[in-house]
Amino acid sequence: MPIPSPGHPIDVHLLEASFQPLELLAAWQRSLATDGHDSPGATGSAAESHFIGRVRPTTASGEPLEALELEHYPGMTETRLQAIAEACAVRHGAGAVLVAHRVGRVLPGEAIVLVAVQADRRGPAQRCVQELLEGLKHHAPFWKREWSGGSGTWVAGNTPL
Amino acid sequence: MVAPTPDLAAAVRVRLFAALRERAGWGERLVPLGASPSSAADLWHRLALDDSPAADAGGLPPSIRVAINQAFAAPDTPLRPGDEVAFLPPISGG
Repeated sequence: MPIPSPGHPIDVHLLEASFQPLELLAAWQRSLATDGHDSPGATGSAAESHFIGRVRPTTASGEPLEALELEHYPGMTETRLQAIAEACAVRHGAGAVLVAHRVGRVLPGEAIVLVAVQADRRGPAQRCVQELLEGLKHHAPFWKREWSGGSGTWVAGNTPL
Repeated sequence: MVAPTPDLAAAVRVRLFAALRERAGWGERLVPLGASPSSAADLWHRLALDDSPAADAGGLPPSIRVAINQAFAAPDTPLRPGDEVAFLPPISGG
């Protein structure tokens, strides 16, 4: 059982405009390198795992998608993301965690979510990313509406893993 | 609004999101608490938020989750004046 390092640096961003995941990732890495945190993420971890999710160009029923609209619960969404990331990092003995998630209108091909986890081994880094993604998909208050042909349809659930 | 001048001290703020909000036609309102203790499930029925013909008088549809003061809570949790109660339709993040 890995001993969790105290005070995992957890960065949570809700973004209202489109973002470049690799730029955000690079900025996060730079901030960790200069923070001097006493955690595995502080000075460049041996392992780092990433996930970038983008909006697919079709709706759940296969129609061309014009845009995805992301509604959230301001305040609770941020709190839940923070709590899910913290719990996940502790459970897997991971270090620094970055979660960025779009809200508002997101176009096909644009990044909607970015998750990054540092750890001292690949296993914890990869497992933490996967668990965190599943956690935020099911337990952080976000709601998607697909816009197609000028009309919007609320999405009732998540796509399969 | 449910009441023209609700007594803030004895009311809860009810919030709806996404499909639930659009179905109800409102997203946020102050609802006075009755004399007897109320739960989120009580409010759900009092505000007629369920559109299914077979709405169970005792609880919420299984797909609806409740948050009290922005934390997930059981639907039968007693409400206190000033609480913020949210009804959350199925979540679809990521």
